[in-house]
Amino acid sequence: MSKVVGIDLGTTNSLVAYVEDGAPVVIRDKSGDGLVPSVVSVAEDGAVYVGREGQRRLLTDAQRTAYSVKRFMGKGREDVRHEAEHFPFRVSGEAGGVVRIGLGQKEFTPPEISAFILRELKRRAEDFFAEQGELDNDVDRAVITVPAYFNDAQRTATRDAGRIAGLEVLRIINEPTAASLAYGLDKRHTGLIAVYDLGGGTFDISILRVEDGVFQVLSTNGDTHLGGDDIDVLLMDTILGDRARTAEDVQAVRQAVIQAKWDLSDRDETMLNGRRFTRAEFEALIAPVVDRTIGPVRQALADAGLEPSQIDEVVLVGGSTRIPLVRRRVEEVFGKTPHSELNPDEVVALGAAVQADILVTGNREMLLLDVTPLSLGIETMGGVVSKIIMRNSTIPASGSEMFTTAVDNQNAVDIHVLQGERELVADNRSLARFKLRGIPPMPAGMARVQVQFQIDANGILSVTARELRTDVEQTIEVKPSYGLTDEEVERMLLDSFEHAEADFAARMLIEGRNEAEAVIQATEKSLRHPDFAAIEKEELAPGERQKIESVMAGLRMVLNSKDRETIQKWTHALNDATQHLAEVIMNRTVKAALSGRSVDDV
Amino acid sequence: MASSTTPTLQVCRECGGGAPIDAHFCPQCTKILSLGRHGDYFSFLGLPRKLNVDPAELERRLRDLSRQFHPDYFYNASPGERRASLERSSYLNDAYRTLKNPVARVEYLLEIEGLAAKGPQEASKAVPAALLEEVFALNEELDEIRDERAGGAPPEAWKARLERARVPIDAKREAHEADLTALSKRWDALVDAGASDAQRRPILEALRDRILERNYINNLLAGIQRELDGA
Repeated sequence: MSKVVGIDLGTTNSLVAYVEDGAPVVIRDKSGDGLVPSVVSVAEDGAVYVGREGQRRLLTDAQRTAYSVKRFMGKGREDVRHEAEHFPFRVSGEAGGVVRIGLGQKEFTPPEISAFILRELKRRAEDFFAEQGELDNDVDRAVITVPAYFNDAQRTATRDAGRIAGLEVLRIINEPTAASLAYGLDKRHTGLIAVYDLGGGTFDISILRVEDGVFQVLSTNGDTHLGGDDIDVLLMDTILGDRARTAEDVQAVRQAVIQAKWDLSDRDETMLNGRRFTRAEFEALIAPVVDRTIGPVRQALADAGLEPSQIDEVVLVGGSTRIPLVRRRVEEVFGKTPHSELNPDEVVALGAAVQADILVTGNREMLLLDVTPLSLGIETMGGVVSKIIMRNSTIPASGSEMFTTAVDNQNAVDIHVLQGERELVADNRSLARFKLRGIPPMPAGMARVQVQFQIDANGILSVTARELRTDVEQTIEVKPSYGLTDEEVERMLLDSFEHAEADFAARMLIEGRNEAEAVIQATEKSLRHPDFAAIEKEELAPGERQKIESVMAGLRMVLNSKDRETIQKWTHALNDATQHLAEVIMNRTVKAALSGRSVDDV
Repeated sequence: MASSTTPTLQVCRECGGGAPIDAHFCPQCTKILSLGRHGDYFSFLGLPRKLNVDPAELERRLRDLSRQFHPDYFYNASPGERRASLERSSYLNDAYRTLKNPVARVEYLLEIEGLAAKGPQEASKAVPAALLEEVFALNEELDEIRDERAGGAPPEAWKARLERARVPIDAKREAHEADLTALSKRWDALVDAGASDAQRRPILEALRDRILERNYINNLLAGIQRELDGA
């Protein structure tokens, strides 16, 4: 059977994990690295580079390289106008429409960029399973995590990204809840838990009650625009000032401040921009950012009807919780030392894998009961929002509202769906506009159209409507305010196959180059052999060394071309040319060993 | 909703068999029942129609029933069963949320007993008779405070006055909470005693009046809060 995985699609880094023998495991590359930087770079020839390679290209080709794209998911052009200035890539899009990110000549929506990252994770998992000797190593189903405070549009965008990447998204789950699942595994605890999740771009706080294996979220709060990125921008501002720089310079500074930030997590001082930079200075600078997390913490506690002292355990999630100031603040608020036994970068992916396992195996040991983070409502007279499903309602949840007609024989009603806590339409998030059609002709005020809102276990909304007098099901045309239509997602999935080909070609090219470099290195080593002069004189044919050197020079010439076949041809030629030399050296080594001399002396 | 007309059976869409109205799974084919005909929130959760609900018991029932029909456990089931699981779970969560809140619980009881208040807008228009005196006094006071503010009085002066103005309203609210508690106890005793509809009716009507007044008082307090915040 094909494999299921859990994916943490992060602002800064992404990970993929799976469950083996009942325990979740992060899937790593050959060097043991589990993190895939959420960076996507599109080269001039259309090849797409994801992860570490994408990250390297930030320093050489910044304008063609996208990072922190999670911040743009489910957003409209107007939402990101201010923020877009911080990024080297082009941010555009039609007024009132979804954001578009320009990399070179091409434009991508945020779900398409995220799909590149998901495809990379999918590939990583498939390679891993193939290496494990699995017969069916296909990875086509996944649980993907999102910040708990993501709204409907952001969740839908994440699900769309999964579909574009060719994944069936089994479930969208909230990051702090996923983390609690991972923590709940080895400790059968019962009690009240607070999960404080400060990641690269978002902040979440969730309060849970855990009992009998049921993880029930009581409340959640957060800020989808608060995280390590904001700290980096603060630090960058102190260095860059108003001076104009190239995009690549800005990225170099960005990487330097990130390094300094990491250093100060376990040191009292570091060097930044050629001067001493102390933890005290750092903390003074970032204190306002850290303090912005406290309001949501208090609100979540209030919504759960709890005092900080009632919380039994506090769990830290997200790379930014490595910052000592963050830990101190959390400890102050709750009056207890927070947990950080599990790697804060990995715990969300582990929990997602556990949830994926629950879904496909029917394992009933644990159950997650999550909530919807924001109230759902509809526009009523005077631009006021009437709430239908309150925030922190356990999901799935439903609600309904009755509509009628204002004029005789009116056959359609416009409905505007919003998410948020504010009174006025303008202060809330517009999710969608619906037109209810097919209302049978009748006098004004007679129609009774019941609109049913259903939030599923993913926190995603669907709407159905029925005219109760005639029992006629209404047609609903959904126009997501900042999302993609099904047709658009379908088209992007098709487009992605083209990219997949380009990606494949790019990967083959990189592999070809790596192989060529390995052969060149081995050849150089042979030519530098301490006994080489004797070997050449005694055992090599005349001109054999010159032949090897000229083939190696030829391979070096083609190494940076984009023609994989030529590189491969020259690599084989060098292999052939050095085969005799390699045998000679091998024989000498063996002889030396047999005659009692150590290999090192040869 | 007289008990004689309340349906007691539902039909299983999988096998066509009959099942008790409060069953969640078909006794014949054991499949999850789609949410067609169903009981009210109390009976759905297996609770008596009483106003004092033990919070721990409510939580336990939410967990137990979630473990029976949460969508997580129907991922591999047929589309019909998946839909049934989604609808049944939604109804469970709505029931839990409503019955967890003591005031929402009373409002829900009034609704299923056929005494629903006619919506918050209507409730807030007419001043309940029991509140006429307080409301009249408060409105007069608010008018004077507004004049004072318009006349440029320092915030400390009119804010303190505003705070004083809400004292009698707060007191009224507390009296109402006590009233609601006492009425709830009487309702539960009648349920336990199996009292007739005629005996229950006066208690329900008293509960409805208290709820309407309570909503009115809350609107008043919210109005005062807005004046304070709008400073």
